[in-house]
Amino acid sequence: MGASYLAVGWNRQKKIYDWLIFAFCVLYLATFVVLTAIFNPDYTFETVLIRATSTLAVIILHVTLSIGPLTRINKKFLPLLYNRRHLGVSMFCIILVHGSFSILQFHSLGNVNPFVSLFTSNTHFGSLADFPFQALGFFALIIFFLMAITSHDFWLHNLSPKVWKTLHMFVYLAYFLVVMHVMLGVIQYETNPVFIIIMLIGAFTLIALHLIAGTREVNKDDVIYKLKQDGYVLVCDVKDIEEDRAKMFCLDTERIAVYKTGGKLFAVNNVCKHQNGPLGEGKVIDGCITCPWHGYQYLPQNGQSPPPFKEKVSTYDVKLEGTHVWLNPKAYAEGTERPGAVISVVNAE
Amino acid sequence: MSTMTVILAAISLYLVAGIIFTIIFQLKGLSKIDEGVNGSGWGFRIIIIPGCIVFWTGLLRKWIKANKEIIDPAKEHA
Ligand code: HEM
Ligand code: FES
Repeated sequence: MGASYLAVGWNRQKKIYDWLIFAFCVLYLATFVVLTAIFNPDYTFETVLIRATSTLAVIILHVTLSIGPLTRINKKFLPLLYNRRHLGVSMFCIILVHGSFSILQFHSLGNVNPFVSLFTSNTHFGSLADFPFQALGFFALIIFFLMAITSHDFWLHNLSPKVWKTLHMFVYLAYFLVVMHVMLGVIQYETNPVFIIIMLIGAFTLIALHLIAGTREVNKDDVIYKLKQDGYVLVCDVKDIEEDRAKMFCLDTERIAVYKTGGKLFAVNNVCKHQNGPLGEGKVIDGCITCPWHGYQYLPQNGQSPPPFKEKVSTYDVKLEGTHVWLNPKAYAEGTERPGAVISVVNAE
Repeated sequence: MSTMTVILAAISLYLVAGIIFTIIFQLKGLSKIDEGVNGSGWGFRIIIIPGCIVFWTGLLRKWIKANKEIIDPAKEHA
């Protein structure tokens, strides 16, 4: 946020979150190894490791990609979003084991360079049943690698937010490559269709979640506000907004968050300066509007991050008439102090 | 040499250059391109090493730009 960088921005909540991820991974891998030992005792250790890590990574990948749409559908999921990048980096570390051991087991025994072997040992690109599915996994792994090594905020600033965001959108290409890697790979290795079924269910769930969340956003933005006077638009009733929370309104294609805190209403631009997180879905913590995504903070009255931070968002005028909240979509320069609207006892009733 | 070998050699060369760059950059350039680096610990410096090796060309560009601004402060107002 403009102050010194930390290696990992840990706090109590994030530590608990990370311990849970870690415990889940250990438990999963242990269960996988034990079950394989019981049911398929002839498998080699490498094979077990390759399969245990790949399936675990695929589970984590699905969870990670569901968090975004889930939080847009229901705010209860916000705590998951808070630390999403730790999930992503964990996923990469796990799948790196899968990739490395696969290359070791299938490509490092000959005298050809393992990476050359990965691409040249099978060139049946025209065949579905024999497709070199490992190459697909390799490219997915490269994308996850690039995302993991740039997950620190240092990279967000120094690659520029635009480049960073674009790079991280490649996760959807990586996901597609993983689906194909699994589908085409499993046809060759397995007769048991359970992998394919699980993968398909996962993929359909993800697509459905994204579609639901997407249409909800569009519906929200399509509300037409009919009552206007002196540049102000009637947006809602003061009771519709909870204390220390906001409601988001889309006026003239601009999204504005109206916050209720300390007996006043304040309006700020909805878009967080960090990674465009939705400020209107956050809450007021220690007197600051706190972004739900990574916790950047802004003062409600002027949209400025408290020192030493330097981020600023635009502010707007709000006024109250009776219990009606009127909002003016004309933006003030980022960081401009506004008086807000005082909620008198009469309004509140 | 097959095409694959040539591509692999090129990538290796790029990454070796990245490693050399990263050593010098961590010693001299890092604090110049981003004020947030001042006061950060060694954990932060370690965690960005892989990124420096891969994205070294971008960092080099930023570093050169930062140097120009120090030498020619008039440009800051442009
Ligand atoms: C260098 C990159 C990769 C290589 C060389 C590779 C190689 C392989 C191989 C050889 C198999 C069949 C293993 C077996 O059944 O014995 C496999 C399966 C699988 N891979 Fe990959 N893979 C790579 C990357 C990935 C990535 C990035 C993911 C997902 C995040 C992934 C997920 C899976 C899954 C879910 C399976 C099916 C379960 C299994 O058999 O392990 N792989 N991969
Ligand atoms: S988007 Fe990261 S803190 Fe707001």
